[in-house]
Amino acid sequence: MRLTQIKTAFCIGFAAVSMMAQPALAAEYPHKTVKLVTHSSPGGGTDVFLRELIKHLSPIMGVTFVVENVRGGAGAKAMASVAGSPADGSVFYGTTPSYINTSILSKPDKTYEDMDPVVNMFQDPQIVFVRADSPYKTLKDVVEDAKKRPNQVRVGVSTPGSLDRQIMEQLKAETATEMTIITHDGGGDVMLSVLNGTSNVGIGEIAELRGQIDAKKIRLITTYTEQRLPQFADVPTAKEQGMNLVVRKFRGIAGPKGLPREVIAAWQDAAQKVLQEPKFKAVYEKDALIPAYMDHETYKKFLADFAQGQKTFFTKYNITTE
Amino acid sequence: MEGLFYAWQAVTSMPVLLAAIGGVTWGILGGALPGISPSIAMALLLPFTYNLPPLVAVVLLASVYVGAEYGGSIPAILIRTPGTNSAAATVIDGYEMQLQGRGGEALGLSLVGGTIGGLFGLILLSTLTEPLASLALYFTPPAYFALGILGISIIGSLSEGALLKGLIAGVIGMMIATVGTDPISGVSRFTFGKPELLEGIHFILVMLGIFAVAELMAQAGEDRWTEGSQPKASNARLKLPSLATLWRLRTAQAIGCVLGAIEGAIPGGGGSVAAFLSYNEARRWSKEPEKFGKGSEEGVIAPETANNVVSATAIVPTLSFGIPGSNSTAILLGGFLIHGLQPGPLLFTTNPEIVYGLFGGLFTANIMMFLLGIVILGPCIWLVKRPKPYLMAAIFGLVVSGVYSIDHSLFDLAVVLMAGLVGFVMRKLGFPTLPLILGLVLGYMIESNYRRSLLITNGDHIVFLQDGVSLGLLLCAALIIGFSALREIRRLREPLVLPEAPDQGSKSGPASISS
Repeated sequence: MRLTQIKTAFCIGFAAVSMMAQPALAAEYPHKTVKLVTHSSPGGGTDVFLRELIKHLSPIMGVTFVVENVRGGAGAKAMASVAGSPADGSVFYGTTPSYINTSILSKPDKTYEDMDPVVNMFQDPQIVFVRADSPYKTLKDVVEDAKKRPNQVRVGVSTPGSLDRQIMEQLKAETATEMTIITHDGGGDVMLSVLNGTSNVGIGEIAELRGQIDAKKIRLITTYTEQRLPQFADVPTAKEQGMNLVVRKFRGIAGPKGLPREVIAAWQDAAQKVLQEPKFKAVYEKDALIPAYMDHETYKKFLADFAQGQKTFFTKYNITTE
Repeated sequence: MEGLFYAWQAVTSMPVLLAAIGGVTWGILGGALPGISPSIAMALLLPFTYNLPPLVAVVLLASVYVGAEYGGSIPAILIRTPGTNSAAATVIDGYEMQLQGRGGEALGLSLVGGTIGGLFGLILLSTLTEPLASLALYFTPPAYFALGILGISIIGSLSEGALLKGLIAGVIGMMIATVGTDPISGVSRFTFGKPELLEGIHFILVMLGIFAVAELMAQAGEDRWTEGSQPKASNARLKLPSLATLWRLRTAQAIGCVLGAIEGAIPGGGGSVAAFLSYNEARRWSKEPEKFGKGSEEGVIAPETANNVVSATAIVPTLSFGIPGSNSTAILLGGFLIHGLQPGPLLFTTNPEIVYGLFGGLFTANIMMFLLGIVILGPCIWLVKRPKPYLMAAIFGLVVSGVYSIDHSLFDLAVVLMAGLVGFVMRKLGFPTLPLILGLVLGYMIESNYRRSLLITNGDHIVFLQDGVSLGLLLCAALIIGFSALREIRRLREPLVLPEAPDQGSKSGPASISS
């Protein structure tokens, strides 16, 4: 009860704000109000991201957005809520890899396959870091040390099913080294673990690490991206060091199955525009998000391919019994 | 000094003042409603903070946290329903005092203890942020494991008279804690393909079942229950402890302050662990340990002081590392991030007006909590004096709707009802229920850090002795266990020495049912 009231209040408040901001050329989007569902709790990563996004997307699409937090079941409830909504362009889902992972791991009634990917917007770069006083300068140093002292180098990663654990397992396999991978409850714990020396190397995202980078308590040594990050131009990629490893942690939009073509077209158009929007650019560049626009068809293929990769990983590490 | 200036500015600024008052009021109400945890109370307000000035927003959220940590004790004392996780320890002696007609006294103790704790925590937060922050760095996986073991070692004294049953209950609690995603490998354990179980079973659901629902069942099961023990409680009025009383209870408060400060500063500890540890330490250092579990004043004030200290010191890791130690501080962190503030060591230099303003706001919030508490408690006491059938129906309705409002999940409701049944059966069979709660709260911490520690040394247990903090905590735990065992042995021998008084010994077992 209370939640709905708050949502309504929020929605009205937001409507007032966005109406003022709305330019005259209101596009012919079939709905005035569009709901974005996330499994993230208020204040969580995806929630904060979506709320920033709608600020800039709203004037472009001429639509009022409402973010709804449907928590529970590791994302299963949010998926069920979106997949069961009418496919008319009024309800969407903010995608992250976790919706694919939950689909594979717990096989809920509604999975990612019951939804239609609309567009992708970003990739979150995953970055290897060490404590400021660490001897490691690059990922190569870590690998060489691990070769010299098998099972002595400790790598802190977040949750067991996360992409950052996956990439570190791949690093081990690719370089044929033995390192100890320590899983944690979340990214924040990994940082503490590196700071207090439990882990020699950690992996994380800029948004989480920013405070400690600025305070020079930690040092970035390698990014798992295609290209160097413009914000950290002196940090090499893994690829440059001869390791073909790139993390594909995506952020995009999906909707119920069977969306009208003009709705998808409107989103494709708006997504490209919003990525160019200078104010939005300033915000996402601060967190070093990489704009990675994909249209409907490309995103669909990308996700299918991604899900296949996750299945292989989960089976290989006995995370799922399938 | 510059900091003091910013803090003063915040205290005297109208919007910040209103945010502190509003936040505390909302927090107390949210905390008092079963099922609405501090983090949920904060999450419900978060959307409103998006358009507020940053300082007002963070003060509002932090004040909710302060209020909720206190609010949880109100139903814990009055109706044996912990409003929040960390009020679980308060239930033990608080509700016992209420049954003895001293509920008003217990409420006064928790209010004053909470205010003292909150202010003490705030002083630490504003003067010792850096040393407290470095405390978090001493806690490596072996240390967390040892901390969990220390917490678990309390079981012996929590289940006095029924050690074996207490241990069984503790193990059941730890078994419940293994449900969900495996912390190290990611395998789904005991989830039976249910996505609802992937994240494990939330403590608060089990607590509400075991305390509140089981209590309702037990009361409804009594003969002539409608007349019940209520008249005794009906002369209860809010009674603030006198200065002499507070001085008498100084040890218990000091224990709450110290343990709360440590637990708050290390992520993962949290209010419930702090409350349980302080309860037990207060008992160990008390001059009248035999009163514990039978309406001890120290048993109320120690955990209530501790969990309000936590509400201040838990902000330390959030501010200095940007790492939330609990769900509540995660939402506070969200409040910072939404306004483009990046918590970290530099926040103190880049945005001192926010940091010190927040301290100022928290000061107001704690003072307001005290005043609001006095206003709110009167009606609360009036409410529980209503005829028992109405009261019980209302409590049940409150529990059920509170649980449903968390995630709109019927599954959660089923968990609460099941836990209620389990709690009821345990009471009937003379099993103490607190060890189960403790096992559940600490099980995950113990297991995940045990396995993480062994990863560090590739399976060598020496790691627990190499780490200084871990070694110290484990030694404390060993001492506690040793003493409990000794006491148990003595107790078993006693009837042999004094065969004349066997009837007393058999009745003083797992008490609370009889009263």
